[in-house]
Amino acid sequence: MTDDRHGHEAGAVAGPAVDPAQRPPSDPRGVDPAPRRRRGPKWFRRVSRSPLAVLGFAIIGMFLLVVAFAPFIAPYPPAQQNLRTTYLPPGTGVKLRGPEGQLGLWVSPATRTPVGGVTVDESVAYPVRLFVRGDRYEWLGGLVRSDLKLFGVDGPVRFYLLGTDEQGRDLFSRLVHGAWISLFIGLIAVAIGVVVGVPLGAVSAFLGGAWDLVVQRVVDVLLAFPGILLAIVLVATFGTGLTNVMIAVGIASIPVYARLARGSVLSVKQREFVEAAGALGRARLSTLARHVLPNSLAPIIVQSSLQMAVAILFAAGLGFLGLGARPPQPEWGLMLARGREYLAVAPHVATFPGLAIVLVVLGFNLVGDALRDALDPRG
Amino acid sequence: MLAYLLRRVLSALPAVLGVIVIVFAMVRLAPGDPALLLAGEFADAATVERIRARFGLDRPPLEQFWIFLTGVAGGDLGTSVRTTRPVADDLARFFPATLELAFAAIVVAAVLGVAAGVLSAVYRNTWIDATVTFLSLLGVSMPVFWFGLLAILFFSVNLGWFPVAGRGGLAHLVLPAVTLSTSSLAIIARMTRSSLLETFGQDYVRTASAKGLNDRAVVLKHALKNALIPVVTIGGLQFGQLLAGAVLTETVFTWPGIGRLLVDSILTRDYPVVQGAVLLIAISFIVVNIVVDLLYAVIDPRIRYD
Repeated sequence: MTDDRHGHEAGAVAGPAVDPAQRPPSDPRGVDPAPRRRRGPKWFRRVSRSPLAVLGFAIIGMFLLVVAFAPFIAPYPPAQQNLRTTYLPPGTGVKLRGPEGQLGLWVSPATRTPVGGVTVDESVAYPVRLFVRGDRYEWLGGLVRSDLKLFGVDGPVRFYLLGTDEQGRDLFSRLVHGAWISLFIGLIAVAIGVVVGVPLGAVSAFLGGAWDLVVQRVVDVLLAFPGILLAIVLVATFGTGLTNVMIAVGIASIPVYARLARGSVLSVKQREFVEAAGALGRARLSTLARHVLPNSLAPIIVQSSLQMAVAILFAAGLGFLGLGARPPQPEWGLMLARGREYLAVAPHVATFPGLAIVLVVLGFNLVGDALRDALDPRG
Repeated sequence: MLAYLLRRVLSALPAVLGVIVIVFAMVRLAPGDPALLLAGEFADAATVERIRARFGLDRPPLEQFWIFLTGVAGGDLGTSVRTTRPVADDLARFFPATLELAFAAIVVAAVLGVAAGVLSAVYRNTWIDATVTFLSLLGVSMPVFWFGLLAILFFSVNLGWFPVAGRGGLAHLVLPAVTLSTSSLAIIARMTRSSLLETFGQDYVRTASAKGLNDRAVVLKHALKNALIPVVTIGGLQFGQLLAGAVLTETVFTWPGIGRLLVDSILTRDYPVVQGAVLLIAISFIVVNIVVDLLYAVIDPRIRYD
C-alpha cells in the first residue's frame, strides 16, 4: 500500500517539477496565477519544484517497490548456490542478438572451469523475457503462491543481471531479497529514536529544572560517543547479530532526537498560544501533547528522513565489520565484506551492494534535505 | 581565557565520568560472568580468580566502580586476553596510527572542502554549484568502506599507484586519508558555501566591492576570512567524528590503528581491550571538542567567554 502511494507521489511530482519556467519570475513565493493547476499543501508544492527532491522520492519509491515485490522481482532465490558459476562478471554469456539475428537479450550457458577461466557455450542461446515462470515462491507470508517472475530466461540457463558471487549465487537476486533488511533497520532505528528520544527531550525541555539538567547530562554522555561508536559499544556489550544491530542503531539515535525535541519545544514553549493554554488552566503535560509537540514536529520529520539514511549506513557498516548480519543473510554490508575478499578477482561482488547502499541512503538524504527546505517556516 | 578553559574542562567532567560508567557497565551487562569475560574463554581457574580479585568482581557494584575508576585514573586498564600485554601498552602502540590517519584526513577535508565550497558559492546557481552540491550529497551518502574498496580497486589493483594496505610512508597514507575524509569533506564544503553566501550579503563585503577591489580579493580576503569561522567549528567537530569513522576505514585498509584494534577485540571477545579502546576514542572526542571551543575563541575576536 505504502509503495503505491510513494510511487504515485513520485510520479505526480514529476509533472509540476518541469514547469517552474512557466511561472512568472516576478513571483518568488509561488503564488500561482492559475491556482487550480497547483493542488496540495504548500510544503508539497515546494518539494515538487526541486528536481533533487523528486529524484529522492523516486529512489525511495523504487526501493519500497523492490522490498514489497522482492520475490517477484528477483529471478532466483537468494541462497541458491551453484559452484559451477562462481564469480561470473555481469553480462557473461549475454548477447544482444539471437542465433538468427533477432534483437533482444540472449543468454548462453556459462561455467567456470576448475582450472579457472569462464567458458561460454555459444552453440545455444535462450531469450530473456518479461513475466516468465520461475521457481515457486510465497509472498505476503504465504498468502500468495506463485512462480511468476518479472524477468527471466525462457530456457534451461540462468541470466545473472549483476553477475554471481563466490558461491555462484545471483547477486541481483540477493540484493533484491536483502533490501528489506536495510528498510527494516532504518524504520526500527527511527522508531526507537522517536518513541524514546522525542518524549525524553520534549518533557525535559517543558518541565525544565533538575529534570532537564539530568536528562541533558545523560544525552551529553551518549553524544560523547562519536558516530558509529555508540552502536559498536552496544553491539559489543549485548552481542552481535542483526536484531541487536537494529536495537543498537536505534538507541544510538535516541540522543539525537532528545536534543532535537528539546530545542524545538524550547522555541515553541514561549509562544502565546502555549501561554494561553497554561493560563486557561490546562495541565502542563496535556498542553505539551496538544499544543507544543504538534508545532515542533517539522524538524523531527526532517530528522527522521536523515536518520533513516544514517541508520542504514551504520547498519551496513556494522555488517561490514562482521558485527551484524551473519552469512548467508543477504545483508548489503555483509555482502560487501565478502566481496572485499575477492576484490581483485571479482570486483562486481563488492561494487553492487555498495551501489545499492549509496542509492538508498542518497534517496533518504535528498528527501530529508528537500523536506527541511520545504518545512522551514522562514523559507 | 584560562578561567574559560578551566570552566570548559570542569563542565566536560560529567561526560567523562558518564563515559567511564558506560565502559564499566559494558562487561557487567554483557551476558556471562564478568570475570570470565575479562580473563578470556580459555583462561584457567587461577587466572579467573586473579581477575576477580583484581577488579573486585565479588564486591558491591559501587566498590567495583571505584576500583575501576582508580584503575583508569592510574592508566591501568587490565591485561589483554589475546596478547597478555597491559591494555594501556596496546592502546599506546595503536593510537598514533589513528591520529596520523585522522590528521591527514582532516587536512584533506579542510583544503578540498573549503575550495569546493568557495567555488560553489562564487559560481552559485551554475552547473559548478550543482555539481558540488550533488557530490557533497553523495559524499555523506556513501559508505566509507565501499569508497575505500573502490579506491583500492582502481588506484592500487588496477593502476598500481598506491599500496593496497598497511601503514608506512606517505604512499600508504594517501588512499586511507582520502577515504576517511569523504563525508567530512562534503560537510565542510556545504558549510563553507552557505557561510560564504551569508557573508556576501554583509556590509563590509559590499564596501570592499564598492571601493573597487577585484572580486578575487573581495572573496578571499574579506568574505572568506569571516566565513571560515563557523567552518572551523564544524571542521573541529568532524575531527572527532573521524576518530570513530576510522574504525571502518582502518578495517578496509588494514591500518594498524585503534579502530582496527577495537573491531578485532570485539570479534575475539577481548573485553579489556574493547573497554580501553572505547574509553580512549570517547575521551579523545571530548578533548577535541574542548580544543575546538578554545580555538573558536582564538580565531574570532568577537567571542569572549567571560
